[in-house]
Amino acid sequence: MESRRSALKIIGAIGATCAFPFGADELYGQQAGHLHHAAPAQAATGPYQPKFFSASEMHTLSKLADSIIPPTGTPGAAAAGAPQYIDLVASTSEERGKDCREGLIWLDAHSGKLYGKPFSELTEDQQIEILSPLSDASDRSDWEQPGVKFFHEMKNLTADGYYTSRIGLVQELGYQGNTVLDHFPVSTLPEH
Amino acid sequence: MAAKIYDVCVVGSGAAGGTLSAHLAQRGINVAIVEGGPGINTRTAFNTHGMPFDFPNRHIPTMRPGVEGFDSERSRGVGGKSMLWNAVAWRLSHRDFKGRSTDGAGEDWPLDYPDMAPYYDRIEREVGVCGNPDHLEDLPDGIFLPPVPMKLSDLLVKRGAEKLGLKVIHVRKSTLTVATRTRPACHYCGNCMAGCDVAAKYNSYDAHMAPALKTGRLDIFSNSIVREVMVSPENRATGVRFLDRHSQQEGEVRARSVVVSCACVQSVALLLMSRSRLYPDGLANSSGQLGKNFIPHFTGGVEAFLTDLIGQPAVNDEGFLDHAYVPSFIHTRKRDYARSFAMQFNYQNRRSVGWARDVRGFGKSYKEAVKARYPAFLVFSPYGEMLPNKQSYVDLDPSHTDQFGLPAARRQVVWGENDKKIFADMQRWSVEILKSAGAEILNVYDEPATNHELGGCRMGSDPRSSVVDAHCRSHDVPNLYVVDGSVFPSASEKNPTHTIMALAARAADHISERLQRKEM
Repeated sequence: MESRRSALKIIGAIGATCAFPFGADELYGQQAGHLHHAAPAQAATGPYQPKFFSASEMHTLSKLADSIIPPTGTPGAAAAGAPQYIDLVASTSEERGKDCREGLIWLDAHSGKLYGKPFSELTEDQQIEILSPLSDASDRSDWEQPGVKFFHEMKNLTADGYYTSRIGLVQELGYQGNTVLDHFPVSTLPEH
Repeated sequence: MAAKIYDVCVVGSGAAGGTLSAHLAQRGINVAIVEGGPGINTRTAFNTHGMPFDFPNRHIPTMRPGVEGFDSERSRGVGGKSMLWNAVAWRLSHRDFKGRSTDGAGEDWPLDYPDMAPYYDRIEREVGVCGNPDHLEDLPDGIFLPPVPMKLSDLLVKRGAEKLGLKVIHVRKSTLTVATRTRPACHYCGNCMAGCDVAAKYNSYDAHMAPALKTGRLDIFSNSIVREVMVSPENRATGVRFLDRHSQQEGEVRARSVVVSCACVQSVALLLMSRSRLYPDGLANSSGQLGKNFIPHFTGGVEAFLTDLIGQPAVNDEGFLDHAYVPSFIHTRKRDYARSFAMQFNYQNRRSVGWARDVRGFGKSYKEAVKARYPAFLVFSPYGEMLPNKQSYVDLDPSHTDQFGLPAARRQVVWGENDKKIFADMQRWSVEILKSAGAEILNVYDEPATNHELGGCRMGSDPRSSVVDAHCRSHDVPNLYVVDGSVFPSASEKNPTHTIMALAARAADHISERLQRKEM
């Protein structure tokens, strides 16, 4: 992998014919945030103001998101801002917002029936016990059973929100692109 | 209103209009380009290096904040789709130009490969096309800059394909791998389709129109939406009428000849809108074929993970997007359908991980499964050649106007039996190649989708069944030309833009000779 320093040096080398039209910083000056090699500290802007969900719904969403993509060696979906992303999506469509809200109500009712507590107060194992059959049915596209469509939608939105975040895309997956190379390296298949 | 009478008025500034007007201007011919969208500065207009986390809704807008353009069907901007294309560049072959003669299906072009070869040469020398001479009969070699090396993932696919007796070759693109005096080489940032802000990838403004502006023979009227091609009672095109995109004020550009290059569907729409007493069914439509024989490419898709790459470290391999290609092979084999397909693959940009939705499960094992598969993900995009049928055409919507008050264009596409057979086979072969390479199949699309739009003003030697002749001149109006994908009488499976540019160079020759002979 080209290190950032060698990538920036390359910019000088291109220019035997056409000079590379940008200085090193100018190329990325358009979108400085994409310099992802070191995740910058988030500017403090105060607590998030939800556009659609109540504070209590956001709390449940965070627990649900972290069940779907938990903190491991890297942060999970809640730290990556997936609940805020889901809140934004829910706020843009009356139907989606309604489905999400009803789903959260169902989830708490279901959790209450099984364990006498809302979803957000369950242990990790209890959360997994509730979600596993929903996930299995969702993978089979079994939409009839209650909660299955809701789980499927929540997983999709959590994955979308997580893997488009800096934590998900850069830190967890190790995204390397959007850089400058003066040549594309030659690959060879390993000998077996 | 322009008082000047130009030699040629070109409507549209994409790969066709840009190439054509530059060729004419360089010969001392006075050209006006009338383009519906704004002028675009490739260096600053696009969110070329945007990342999804820079935007709350995680969607990277094409344009930078406050920059207009590229948001409208009818008028995108100077450069048209050449600003955001992938730049794949193939020469069409004899089999492509003579589909009816070779395969008994579709239509022959009124020209053949030897007629086009000098123009492919010219375009390649002018704009720079990288690729490898593969000596394939169905994919003529060109004048190439060095190809981009295949990715490791390409080599794995290639090994799998070769076990099935199939070739995988280097892709060919109108993107520089060696700098010229005016344009740098590609630096492999992977943002080709977000707008190449260094113009290493061809776009018609930086590569053709900007140099032509220096001749003083080219005027570009931007933000000028052409609503009508004007034709005199003596059956001569006299220019165009346009609306200013912002003020809605009317204007005119007058010229000795007119070229319509709005891109397929919009070219058909403009000619339909330009109907008159002389042409009640649409300008230059005495054949009744205007809008008919609409034959857009159809694509399939297979998403997969290469098993050899699952669990490997992430790599920086999205630069230049796709590096390899599976050229048509089925045309040499016995099959129960006509024409063929080819496959683009491994062109995906790794900042898009939508496939994570489809990985099963949740929790820690899900997160690990997605991470392990991240470097292994690829997409196969086979392209099939559609045959013309009566149910597929372009017309004007009688009940809807667009945001400029002009009738909206409508597309009607119904796939025929041959098309469906090609689709099924190209999907099957995509899965076979992947399995042979060692892959976990994630998704096999079950519906075709339209892609490159072609046909609607088809080329032919018979004025009763075609709209333009072999030089893109309309049969009906002697000084009216149509130059873009709408003139294709057959679609091939190969990406069309390189051929469109060669047709533009050829039409420019024809127009130039006729102007010299004072025929227009």
